[in-house]
Amino acid sequence: MTINDLAGTPPNPEAAISVRGLVKRFGTFTAVDGIDFDVPRGQIFGFLGPNGSGKTTTIRMLTGTSGPNAGQALVLGEDVINHPERVKQRFGYMSQKFALFEDMTVEENLRFYAGVYDLSAEQFAKQRAYVLDMADLRGRENELTANLSVGWRQRLALGTATIHEPELLFLDEPTGGVDPVARRQFWDLLYDLASRGVTLFVTTHYMDEASHCNQLAFIYRGRLIAEGVPHDIRRDLIAEQVLEVSVRDVDGALAWLEQAPGVEEAYLSGARLHAVIEPGASGDVVGDYTARLRTAGFADASLVAVEPTLEDVFVNLVARAQES
Amino acid sequence: MTSFTRISAMTRKEFIHLLRDRRTLAVVLVMPVLQMLLFAYAISFDVKNVSTVIIDTDQTPASQAYVRSYASSDFFRLVGTANDLGAVDRVFDHNQARIAVVVPSGFGRQLAAGERATVAVYLDGSEPTAARVGQAFSTALNQVYGQRVTIEWADAQGLDVTAAGQLEPRVRTWYNPEKRSSDFLIPGLMVVIIMVVALQQTAVSLVREREQGTDEQLAISPMKRWEMMVGKVAPWTLLAFLDLAVITAVGIWFFDLPLRGSVTVLMLGAALFVFCALGLGLVISAVAPSLETANMLGLLLSLLPAFILSGFAFPLGSIPEWLQVISCAFPARFMVTISRGVFLKGAGFDELWPQLAALGAYAVVVLTIAVLLDGRRRR
Repeated sequence: MTINDLAGTPPNPEAAISVRGLVKRFGTFTAVDGIDFDVPRGQIFGFLGPNGSGKTTTIRMLTGTSGPNAGQALVLGEDVINHPERVKQRFGYMSQKFALFEDMTVEENLRFYAGVYDLSAEQFAKQRAYVLDMADLRGRENELTANLSVGWRQRLALGTATIHEPELLFLDEPTGGVDPVARRQFWDLLYDLASRGVTLFVTTHYMDEASHCNQLAFIYRGRLIAEGVPHDIRRDLIAEQVLEVSVRDVDGALAWLEQAPGVEEAYLSGARLHAVIEPGASGDVVGDYTARLRTAGFADASLVAVEPTLEDVFVNLVARAQES
Repeated sequence: MTSFTRISAMTRKEFIHLLRDRRTLAVVLVMPVLQMLLFAYAISFDVKNVSTVIIDTDQTPASQAYVRSYASSDFFRLVGTANDLGAVDRVFDHNQARIAVVVPSGFGRQLAAGERATVAVYLDGSEPTAARVGQAFSTALNQVYGQRVTIEWADAQGLDVTAAGQLEPRVRTWYNPEKRSSDFLIPGLMVVIIMVVALQQTAVSLVREREQGTDEQLAISPMKRWEMMVGKVAPWTLLAFLDLAVITAVGIWFFDLPLRGSVTVLMLGAALFVFCALGLGLVISAVAPSLETANMLGLLLSLLPAFILSGFAFPLGSIPEWLQVISCAFPARFMVTISRGVFLKGAGFDELWPQLAALGAYAVVVLTIAVLLDGRRRR
């Protein structure tokens, strides 16, 4: 497992975020179970995991809105657990909910958050111009936020979350409910922020978005189960072959693959099926399984070996975590 | 200074919400006036100037004196006289009168002879309240009149009136001698309205922020919780005072409400009371899981206790003891005492300090609970 060996070391004040042994319990349920990681400055750090795995709880602790039961956390070199007020002016936060006032205009929303961060008139004028250009909202300053499309609202939310020019931006599922084109545009904006030196801490369960990150950490049931650069994670963690199956009777083929000997995992990936083949299989694996599937009654099945995606990695990691 | 910037940003934002939400604004500004009209006129417990027609078929000095006793009463308004019974149907059908009093011929003669004279009173039953009250008053009037006649008659015969037991009971009502229900209602109504405006809106607006995620956004910002609260409740405090002024003005100018006591004490009481209501609103917002629950709880905790457990609708002395104990859990009862004391009794600080102290203590306790609950929620 490519899990970092940071546990027990002192937190690193040079990092944008440095977490050691962070634990959060709700009653008897342990939401975050002793995690350690460092986020270097200027990076896009992807924090991945299924719903309920502890992503949002971690962000709450890192933004000083929720106290951990144990552990340390430095944000921009400051102890965010005991003195969140020292660093709140320096980071920003954007959630899936966008946190805009829909009965207020674009201008009024910007002005409100400028007041919250106590910007001077000059700072506000400069940031207002930047946000309006960035979000493509010139000419819509006086439009009610409720009347904007989701893509625009999302960009405005990014604008209000960065109105005070934070050094670090937390993004909690920022692209939820947004169409793929708008998501693509949004990631361009994130790249732009990163190029200006802003550190981005992004949670998502979209695997294609994970590929955009410089570094990834997978959290599952409150524990980090893998960490690293996307490319390495893909290469290191999947020694197995992944077959992509196209077939009309998807449900039937899935049921067959799940119990087929030699298949480690089978799951839906878009409209197709992915099957992870146990290590050690040799010969014409694609030909073998094509023949076996056709014999089993799936005459139209066609198979192709694919490069494992992060989703494959993730399913695999979760399966391993559940077994252990 | 930065606190001031953040608070004013919050307050400005709340005013924008308010201006965009015309319905709420209308409710908050028009409701007091509407409720006052409703309570003071429509649901008024006193009936005045009931249009009355008198049909005097006797036409003797005695019958004319009797008719004058109606004319001089505030409760009846003579709209005309007639000579025949057919007039009753006519005036009722044309809604010209609600009551018709028929003095039969022989009325003067019977009285002079010391006999019991009968008078027929017809009531338009299609308007039950006016009819019922009209009935009660004309009966009372008849009794008083009849008694007086009896007394005069008895006196002329040289009998001892007191010994004959013909004493007329006199009931005097202090502070509100005419027993006008508007005098009694408006100071209480003021409390109900301030309670609803301050409590309901605070409860709802915080839950709304939570639902739209802006609460979370502000929680990670440098804005402190107390700054957010102060900024948020400032507009509602202002509106509550605006309502107070409107109610007082309408009360004084349209309902002849006396303002006998200390305005300072009234303002001080109102300010403390607004804090109590805001505190209750914050408590609701801290425990309510959704906007609907907040709305319901807000209504339940503002309207009901302010109506029933404050002395507004029922005197506190007449409700069961355990309810009286519960009523102390709501600030309205103290404020109703202050409001009525200042308006009607001419009370000042010397008389009302216990209520002011109670409101002050209540505000401190409820705001502390609100902050604690809110803090627990954010863990």
